[in-house]
Amino acid sequence: MCLNRNEVKVMSDYDIAIEIDARGSFCPGPMMELIKAIRQAEVGEYLSLLSSDEGTRNDVPAWINKAKHELLEIINEDGHDRYIVKKLH
Amino acid sequence: MKKVVILGGGFSGISVANKLAMKTKRKDVGIVLIEPRDHLVYEPQLLFWAFKNYPLSKFTKPVTKVLNPRVTWIQTKATKIDDTQRAVELSNGETIYYDYLIIATGASMEEDKIGATHDDNVHHFYLPKATEELQKSLSNFEGGTILISPTTIPFKCPPAPNEFAFLLDNYLRKRGIRDKTKIKFLYPLLRAYPVPSVAEKIQELYEKRGIEFVEFFNFESVDKDNKKVISLEGDEFEYDMLVLVPPHEGQEVIKNSGLGDREGFVHTDRFTLKVKEKENIYAIGDCTDLPVSKSGAVSHFSSGTLVKNILSEIKGKSANHKYNGKTICFVVTSFRRSLLLDFSYNYPPRRYGIHNSFIYGLFKKVFKIAFFQVLVKGYM
Repeated sequence: MCLNRNEVKVMSDYDIAIEIDARGSFCPGPMMELIKAIRQAEVGEYLSLLSSDEGTRNDVPAWINKAKHELLEIINEDGHDRYIVKKLH
Repeated sequence: MKKVVILGGGFSGISVANKLAMKTKRKDVGIVLIEPRDHLVYEPQLLFWAFKNYPLSKFTKPVTKVLNPRVTWIQTKATKIDDTQRAVELSNGETIYYDYLIIATGASMEEDKIGATHDDNVHHFYLPKATEELQKSLSNFEGGTILISPTTIPFKCPPAPNEFAFLLDNYLRKRGIRDKTKIKFLYPLLRAYPVPSVAEKIQELYEKRGIEFVEFFNFESVDKDNKKVISLEGDEFEYDMLVLVPPHEGQEVIKNSGLGDREGFVHTDRFTLKVKEKENIYAIGDCTDLPVSKSGAVSHFSSGTLVKNILSEIKGKSANHKYNGKTICFVVTSFRRSLLLDFSYNYPPRRYGIHNSFIYGLFKKVFKIAFFQVLVKGYM
């Protein structure tokens, strides 16, 4: 897993502050990595989570909804999904 | 003569030291263990000890009784690893040099980061002293709300908080105060255990036993003045007693040496158990960042691979033995029943039930004896 702050600009539409590469990690790894990153992020920043675990598709949207942040997109890429999340509070 | 230095004398460190001692000759390989504590604790017993008072000596042994006499034990702590010099600085001021280093320093229980103590009726059962305080508080408890929650993931023995909830329910029923007590289980995920099929069974049992499950509770802080626990998601729950899994991190020596991740867990190759991008250093057990449970079973099943790889390297061969992630895990659902999980890197957990209280009781007793007499001593 890696976490790069202010180093990665993945999507032209989003200024990604933190990218979490959780590919190859099984549930609950990707979601817990996202939660750790949310704790570190500033309000208003965008985060990008890469996950190849199918369980993430249920868990992350449900947690984002519960925690009242914003899930902007789930982008299906080669062998994994990319979740774009905005920290709202 | 090659020198193997092992940092940490918990189950992982001592069992690997003993296995190496059995498989090598004194003239070929010197083995040194660095460990400040003088007793080895059978940690799975702490969960049960919280509910019944008996001497700690029933499940601890002096290091001298479980360590092969061929191993040199230095009773001190490692403070820094210098992999370029193949040296380890010790808290007694000395420096020890190695040909091969095994890191088995375990996880550090960061109790201070909770922000409350047993005096605030905030407890845990991951260290003997803390468990003793919990035991006292439980014996004086006469009713109210008990909350159970992990603080961080990963933590040692993933089912431990679930098991505590089940045993607490049993304990309160026996004392006749279950109807005066609310038990709430607060958990970071959408379900009560990481593995969906196991979570389903656990939640079914929670419902039967009146244990309330609260999903998506990621511990943030304790408001000890108002007896509330607060989550990252913004939820707050009042408690009369709060039982947490304390925050887990890697040890200071790992953080000081730049060998770990943000939490100080050692970057470890999941197959060979070599520390990533380092020569002649291996890691085992709770100190690693392996994508498997932090448990004695993982240490046990991976120790054979580690020992074979070090022996190969000593003989000038490459370290190509691989750990397949095999482990087993018991989920205690009452003082008499348990689920057994079996999994590896290659297959998801398979679940078996041990519902015969005689077999389970016998197994528990035999396993504790086997822990000290067979597993720690490296016979298996």
